[in-house]
Amino acid sequence: MISIYLDKESWLHRLPAGVKLLVVAVVSIVLFQLDSVWVFLGGLAGVFALYASLGKDGLARLSVIRGLLMFFGIVLVLHWLSGTFFEGIVVVMRLTILFLAANLISITTRMDDMMEALMPLFKPLQWFGVQPRRFALGVTLVLRFAPHLMQIFAILREAYQARTGSRNSWRLLAPFAIHALRMSDNVAEALKARGGSAGLSR
Amino acid sequence: MADRSLVHIAFYAALIAALGLVPPVAIPWVAGVPITAQSLGVMLAGVMLGPVRGALAVLLFLFLVGIGAPYIVLAGGRSGMGVFASPSVGFLIGFPVGAFVAGWVMQSTKDMNVLVSSAIAAAIGGILVVYALGIPGVAMMTDLSLAAAAVGSAVYIPGDLIKVAITAIIAQTVARGLPSAILSRS
Amino acid sequence: MALWPKKKNRKPERVCDPDADTFAVFDGVGVTLGQRTVLEDLTLSLKEARIGVIGLNGSGKSTFVRLLNGLRTPDKGNLTLFGAPAADAEPELPRHVGFVFQNPDHQAIFPTVEEEIAFGLTQLGAGKEESRKEARAFLELHGCLELAESPIAELSEGQKQLVCILSVLVMEPELLILDEPMTSLDALAVRRIYGKLMSLPQKIVMISHDLTHFENFDRVIWLEGGRVRLDGPPQQVLAAYRNDIEEKSGTKMELAAL
Repeated sequence: MISIYLDKESWLHRLPAGVKLLVVAVVSIVLFQLDSVWVFLGGLAGVFALYASLGKDGLARLSVIRGLLMFFGIVLVLHWLSGTFFEGIVVVMRLTILFLAANLISITTRMDDMMEALMPLFKPLQWFGVQPRRFALGVTLVLRFAPHLMQIFAILREAYQARTGSRNSWRLLAPFAIHALRMSDNVAEALKARGGSAGLSR
Repeated sequence: MADRSLVHIAFYAALIAALGLVPPVAIPWVAGVPITAQSLGVMLAGVMLGPVRGALAVLLFLFLVGIGAPYIVLAGGRSGMGVFASPSVGFLIGFPVGAFVAGWVMQSTKDMNVLVSSAIAAAIGGILVVYALGIPGVAMMTDLSLAAAAVGSAVYIPGDLIKVAITAIIAQTVARGLPSAILSRS
Repeated sequence: MALWPKKKNRKPERVCDPDADTFAVFDGVGVTLGQRTVLEDLTLSLKEARIGVIGLNGSGKSTFVRLLNGLRTPDKGNLTLFGAPAADAEPELPRHVGFVFQNPDHQAIFPTVEEEIAFGLTQLGAGKEESRKEARAFLELHGCLELAESPIAELSEGQKQLVCILSVLVMEPELLILDEPMTSLDALAVRRIYGKLMSLPQKIVMISHDLTHFENFDRVIWLEGGRVRLDGPPQQVLAAYRNDIEEKSGTKMELAAL
């Protein structure tokens, strides 16, 4: 299973999700007010220390920053071209701290707790008729069917490859979409047969 | 019909996630910038589901990315709160808005041929709107001028144009194979 | 918000009679799908405990059984379910009629077995904790407590279908509808599931292409082109159906007719 959560015990794990989110939100606002290299160096050291406090597998998670390296390169080049290379470095440091800090929340918070902490943000959806029960059911459905759809895509790709020898899977997207939609109609029918998303207790 | 809508929204959210795993294709004429299928999912959600459901599908997907749900990742395997603290956050905010606009365009061009109307919808919603929010996001996060941020983001536009074409082809294929699935028009 | 009068928590009146002996009465019922007529002029009533539905693909079997739990509504004629007109009965039907689909992958909504079973209970108004506990008890009763925490995706096809059947049974319906429930199962799983189904106290309406399943049923309905071709005790209907297939396959093989 691909998961960002690091399953272990630590003081960061025990901290409530809401607190962690709030701290990171405050930190990011503060970071944008500052542009001192020395403060940022301290910040980087601090974030590294937090990852290190999770042990060896914690430090290994620092590698997520790799996904941003190409982007940082482009930012530095663009800043260099605009004659603000030094500011570019400051920006990259700030973004690194920000990204690693936010990522740390996900590493140390269970999905369920995160969901509960974020739920209030989605209250406004009620105005569009999305009740909390519906929302939770929607989340469950995605969790259940995302892996399934990936499996279906893999099967379609095999069938396609067996007949054409080609691995270019972009041509499969239309049949894949139709497949997924047919299936979603079946699932909707099965849900309705058991009383639908609103339940039967009315 | 509310149940069917809910399931469709969830399926599109799952579909966007699944598309993130389609192997990226490098476009040779722009220094091998990888194009991924994921923003295709955003265009599709708007074009096929219509404005409200399309935007909700994208929001649901982003919510699950944010809470670090297994399997639900951005292209390249990124997930968790970090993605909202990354320079591309403007694009992520642009996704649901773009899906909404794409769905709205699709709905208000009902009389047009599906291929044409979905291409226009995907281009306006999936490119114009997404970049209109994405580029200022990059500029803000990186202290670059809007122009520089636009130059930096422009490398992805050729890939997105290809996705517009694919969206239109898919919409037309579905319109022929399973017409009832184009909810934005029913 | 306090200014708003609270919605009265009045229980809606129940229109269905779950103990009705005759659970469905069709009177000239027809269903059309776009231009196509799927079912036509059905007049019959159902009360037997074990009813089989047979017919070729496209004969209207699936639509017929979907009328029984409100997934489809008649376009013509009158349909009475559990003593009430189908339109009025519809919101209550999921309580009384369980439906098991052909493909368990399309029916199971939740990641784990326990959650899947508990869903039916929360649908009926039980709390989260309570329904979890009851779900475990229910699984134990049916001898599969060890499956409780298994991810549904990792079960065998037979186990998946069993979970789907249990997830419907936990809502204690009076009638169970099965739309080709054993098509994707291996021979051993078919035996087990079949045995389980036959031991249930619920009334059953089942579609199957395996005619041997119906030999001990009370009644078999043979649909052809959206109409009842023959309706009666299994010995008579199954024999006639087998003969008809022999005749049809004896003539030349035409792909277009499949």
